[in-house]
Amino acid sequence: MLSAHITGIGWVTAQGFGWGGQGGAFALIPGELPTLSRADVFPQPDRRFGRMDPFSRLGLAAVTFALRDAGLEEWREKRPIGLIAATAYGCLATDRDYFATVIPNGGALASPQLFAYTLSNTFLGEAALRFGLTGEALVVSEPSPGGLAPLGLALENLAWNGARAMVAGLCDLAPPEGIPTVPGLPPGAVFVVLERDRRTEAPNYGELRRDEQGGYRLNGAPVATMVDLVRQGLTGNK
Amino acid sequence: MNRVCVVDTALVSAFGDGLPPLWEGLLVGRTAVAPLQRFATGRYQSHVAACVPGLAAESGESLLLPLLERLLVQLALVPGDCRVLTASTKGGIDLLERRGRGELCSMEAVLPGTLPALVARRLGLADAGLNINAACASSTLALARGAAWIAAGAAEAVLVVGIDLVSEFVFSGFSSLQALSKEASRPFDARRDGLSLGEGGAALLLMSEARARREGRTALGTIAGWGSANDANHITAPARDGCGLVLAIEEALVKASLTAAAVAAISAHGTGTVYNDAMELTAFARVFGERPLPVQSLKGAVGHTLGAAGAIETIFGLECLARRVMPPTVGLVEPEEAGRGRVAAEAQSIAGDYLLSTNSGFGGVNATLLLGRPSC
Repeated sequence: MLSAHITGIGWVTAQGFGWGGQGGAFALIPGELPTLSRADVFPQPDRRFGRMDPFSRLGLAAVTFALRDAGLEEWREKRPIGLIAATAYGCLATDRDYFATVIPNGGALASPQLFAYTLSNTFLGEAALRFGLTGEALVVSEPSPGGLAPLGLALENLAWNGARAMVAGLCDLAPPEGIPTVPGLPPGAVFVVLERDRRTEAPNYGELRRDEQGGYRLNGAPVATMVDLVRQGLTGNK
Repeated sequence: MNRVCVVDTALVSAFGDGLPPLWEGLLVGRTAVAPLQRFATGRYQSHVAACVPGLAAESGESLLLPLLERLLVQLALVPGDCRVLTASTKGGIDLLERRGRGELCSMEAVLPGTLPALVARRLGLADAGLNINAACASSTLALARGAAWIAAGAAEAVLVVGIDLVSEFVFSGFSSLQALSKEASRPFDARRDGLSLGEGGAALLLMSEARARREGRTALGTIAGWGSANDANHITAPARDGCGLVLAIEEALVKASLTAAAVAAISAHGTGTVYNDAMELTAFARVFGERPLPVQSLKGAVGHTLGAAGAIETIFGLECLARRVMPPTVGLVEPEEAGRGRVAAEAQSIAGDYLLSTNSGFGGVNATLLLGRPSC
């Protein structure tokens, strides 16, 4: 049985953005995502945020909110905290924008700035360097997205790999034109912080367990999706 | 902790299908990096890459599909309860290129979650699978995860498939970053000037020792340890002090309950870029000190195969251990000072049972595997 305490929740959805401790409402619903400025995410100037592609801004913002909620945003020494994100479309919108710079002039004007963001894991690197996170950082994609695969991998890292904490969740923009739509997957990003040991000063959204059959329970109640998990966690913390 | 055995492998590289043509090419110092025919390169920094010979797609189909087929057909029976992990950085990105130029094509294969489904369907496996993307360490981390599942008893068999294409998309990007060598790359050479892109795929069937024995499978080697760490330093450049790679190596050693002295050779990432290779040599010196230790890179021969690199290099590493020889680093002429006594343009013998395989990538990712001979 693998288990961890959920100590932070952050999100950016069509309904808005925020984190658990703010007390705002969470819903992953269809619609247009808010346009995030640097000031919405970071209190201090950040030279890179405005230059990032929308996918990275979305993911980095939600990771930042989750870490802030858990009280892990501030740091002095690098920390063995890992990052796992699930995505269905990845950075396909950025890919399309980048390749639009390749087509004219036989590629002579291809954008190196955009190319750096044509990997779905780049935003995890942005989060790692901003917050000093040295744990494993990877992106996963499932044939049927929306489940709890990233949380399962995060629980494994906590149990087997010596990670102190893991940030896990999902991140997707709406699919670019011409890309097959994955049903039931609204755009948005939501991440949770999982910790092996409970810190008394951190929020308590419950204990997540994975049983031998692969089922997940939060404080004993079954959960099947990230949305389930976050809703139950926020409700239980009130 | 269950022992993790590699019981079957498949490989396609620019040398052709299977390991033998690659191995034979390496031993004579041959490179498969050649002038690119797939797309016009007139406006790019380089005009060469290592492409898989005879790779052709049906109309409207990604080149990923015939490459995957050439890979999977090499495998013997894969058990139906096997879990599936794929690793690719850009999957069927050639479809997005063609769509961008106005061609009509099915875009399914451009979705990253499609790849594991293709593998599972083709082999009749029950597991839906998962694709892992961690830049150029993607398949290394997929192998690490598969090994972790088996070690912990969460799976008895895991199929790991790493695959990536040479595409104009990626080629133009590295060209825009001024990261391509004009000729075949020269890993760890004092005059190295960039990487060469390559394409290919590799599949490895991992099994617990108990399951392998029950099925009468012969172990080709073991995955004894694995590690992963982020530099937390830069998005596209490695940390100069190799801090993330050092952590990843140390984690793999702890996992394998080994000391650095047990490592007899290293299959390095060795892209041929100035900063990557210098970072790796720095990290190796920090962990292994000054003792002689054969270090090799495949990338002067097969190019940088991105998400497939770790899987290809794992098959290569197991063969090195089996034959107790490390083939030459193709393209190497004058070793970088920090690599003298380690990297070589000639084959080196391996005096030991464990080989370290390392990969690093964009986003500050570092990943390592400790491979063992079958008896280890």
